[in-house]
This record gives sequence, C-alpha cells and structure tokens, in this order.
Amino acid sequence: MLLRNSITIVASPRPRVGKTLLARLLTDFHLREGRSVAAFDLNVGNATLAQFLPEHVTQSTINDLKGQMALFDRLIADDGATKIVDLGHAPFEPFFTLAHQFGFAGETHSRGIALVILYLLTPDHTSVEAYRSVSSRLPEAVMAPVHNEIFGVSQHRGRYGLTINAIVIRIPLLAPAMRKYVETPPFSFAELQSPGGDVDIDIELQHWFRQTYLQFRELYLRILLTDLKSSIGF
Amino acid sequence: MAKPAVFLIGADKGGVGKTTVARTLLDYFGARHVLPRAFDTESPRGTLKRFYPDVTEVMDVTSASDQMKIFDTLNSVDAKVTVIDVRAGELSFILQALSDIGFLELGRTGQITLAMFHILGPSIASLEEIAETARFVGDANYFLVKNHINETSFFEWDPETYKSYFKRIKDAQEINIPKLNEMACEQVELAGVPYVSFVDNKKYSFVLRGYVRHWLGQVWREFDRVKLVELISQKSERNIRQAAS
Repeated sequence: MLLRNSITIVASPRPRVGKTLLARLLTDFHLREGRSVAAFDLNVGNATLAQFLPEHVTQSTINDLKGQMALFDRLIADDGATKIVDLGHAPFEPFFTLAHQFGFAGETHSRGIALVILYLLTPDHTSVEAYRSVSSRLPEAVMAPVHNEIFGVSQHRGRYGLTINAIVIRIPLLAPAMRKYVETPPFSFAELQSPGGDVDIDIELQHWFRQTYLQFRELYLRILLTDLKSSIGF
Repeated sequence: MAKPAVFLIGADKGGVGKTTVARTLLDYFGARHVLPRAFDTESPRGTLKRFYPDVTEVMDVTSASDQMKIFDTLNSVDAKVTVIDVRAGELSFILQALSDIGFLELGRTGQITLAMFHILGPSIASLEEIAETARFVGDANYFLVKNHINETSFFEWDPETYKSYFKRIKDAQEINIPKLNEMACEQVELAGVPYVSFVDNKKYSFVLRGYVRHWLGQVWREFDRVKLVELISQKSERNIRQAAS
C-alpha cells in the first residue's frame, strides 16, 4: 500500500500544554509544502485555531451523531486535503473511544491514509497512561511524541517507555519577546509578513518555525519510508 | 463430522425483533466460517429473505411439504446451521409440527443440535410461552434473548414472576442485545443488506458503519459468551453417553 494522504491528531489529556500552537505549526507546515489542508478544532468554546487560520479550520464536535459524521466522515473522505485535528483535552477520551469502536485506525489504513498522533509529553500519570491506552487501542496509528520546551528540558522518556532511539519532536523555546507576535491573531507562519515591521523579528520567527518545520518533514518522510519498506516486503 | 444444528428464533409477540436477532446470528456464523441457511416463516414475503436472499427460503409452516423441506435437507446441504425465523404466535404451532414429524426427537437423542432463541418482549405476557416451548425442546439449549436494539420502553419485569418462569428451565441462558443508534439502524434497514456487508461497504457513512460495527461486535461477544460455536461443533456427546449406558 502506498500512502496517499495523512490525518494528524494533536492530542493530550491535559489543558494548556501547547496543542493549538502545535496544530497551527502543523497546518502552516502543510500549507507551505503546498498541500491543501482541512483542520478541525474540537476545543469547546474558544475557537483559537479558527482565529489564526480562518480559511482552513472547521469548528467541530463529537457530542452528537451529526457532529461525529461531520468530523469522521470528512476526515476519511478522499478529497485530497491533508487533515489536522486539534483535539482539546475535554474530548480526548470520548474521541479515542469512538475511534476505537468505529475501527478508525483500520479504516484509514485500508484507505491508504497515514494516521499520526502528535502527543504532547507531560510528566503526569494521566498523560502517561493515556499515551499507552491510545497506542494500544489504535495499533495502526503512528505515535509521534512531542516535547514542548517551554516546560523545561526533560523529555520524560523514561515515564513513557521511550528508548534512546525513539524520535521526539521538539517545539523549541521561543524568546519571550517574540511570543506576543505569535500569539496575536491573525498570524500565520506560512504567510509571514514581518509582524512588527521589523526584519530582525521576522528572521527570528522564521528561524524558530524552521526548526519545527524540519522535524515535521522528517516525521512524514519516516512514515513514508516505513510504508515503502513494508510494501516491498522489506 | 459435526452434526447439523437448528436454531429456532421465536416469540409469541410481534415487534420484539426476531428478524434482527436472526440476522445477527446469520452474520455471526458466516464470520465464524460456519455456513448458515435460513427459513423465513413470514410467508409469502419474508423480511429475512430481503436481507439474505441467497441463503433464505420462505416457508409456510402450515404446509406439510414445507415442513419436510427443513427435515429433508438437514444432512444433504452444505450448510451446517439452519436458522428458522418463526413468525409471531406460531412458535407453539411450529414446535408441535416439528414434534409430529419426529424432528424434536432427533434433538433429544442428540442426532442434531437443537437450540431455541426465545426473544422476550417488554411485557410479562410473553413469559407464559416459556413453559410451553421448554416442554418441546428440553432445557439444554434454551436462550432467553432480551432485545434492546430499538429500546423505546424498558423491560418492565416483575423480578419474582420472571424468576418463577426462569426456574422452570434451569439451564436457560440469557443473551442481551444492546441498543443500536437509531439512525445507524435505519440506514441498514434502508440498505437491505446484512450487517457485515453494511460495515464493510465504504459507500455508507463511516460513522454509521462504525456504530453498527461496534454494536455487532457486542452482540457477537454475547454469542461467544454462551459458546454458540462450541454448541454446534460438539460431537454427538449424548449419543456416546447413551451408547455407554
């Protein structure tokens, strides 16, 4: 099987760990790669992702059948768009329960869609348990652990049972002075136009974005390579 | 060689979901690589026939030649399991008929496996039938099925009354069919296909298929729990025991 597209779910059972920032970076990454992107925001109440990327984001819910159909059926639809889900901490468990019951991972696999879960690593017990539970319930999905450096240098590999060879995507620390630009919508890394009208800020932000950008690219290349290897029986 | 098995699906009331249970059962055996066939007694046009046109025959239970059809083909067809969807109110009647042609005797002596699926309705009235049917099939393979698929009213059983009937068939086992999302249920009805085909067909909504998949999985786990496959694959144990005694 050769992968035709991807669905990436940005997940953590904890609030305020950088999910929406990660979803924004990822959306911008795919846009810059020239792909068409459909992002889904499952956070309740605040439409943060939609404020930053209004043209690409659909506000979604899985609380009723209509919402579930609008989300899941759209995710697996063969419409050429790369899908990104910003899964809030509240719908974390319900989402993965449904995904498991529906056989979501198997379905994406049979349709040649890579299912990737970008999981933000935090040291708490709940997150560690949830990580194990998700990877066992969706065995066909690619678990991609992410470390947000704003929370310190420790990647908590031991807690998550990640070996020294496991690749953890790092969101580098952004200089505090830069944050106000990134955190004020509308702002897109894909269409960066010197937010402060200052070339230095522009360069700094570009540099920061590039660091994550390269890691994303590596991640998708790894997935493609694994798929290629298995399709030639390697 | 495994002996043939016959599953009677009945209830003394209409609308309790016999055909639904028959459909899950046909899907279940299909998935377990046991070739099933079915008889639909809703003559002249049966619902089961609509969902499983290839394996279903519509029969008229009052016709002697139709009764013999079940009997005659038991050993001659490839199908190992026969599922008979008995129309509401005809359960006692068909049991009497099967008894008359010596069919129930085969079950009692262990030459065939005979199992009874009694679908319970939400009112207590339908329990009256249990005593009656148990008399025919013996109490070995008796399954009481509580069907919650389109749960509109809850089961209003008086526990005491329920137990008093339950006691008469001491080995009866309970099977619970859980609720299925209404819209998913409706879509399968509209599609007019077996549940497994609905789940596998990517043309339908993934979410609706997902609901059916999960629900069917739960139903099958119930069937696994009561060991239906073992029931049909067991060798003629009773024959052996009889020969030894």
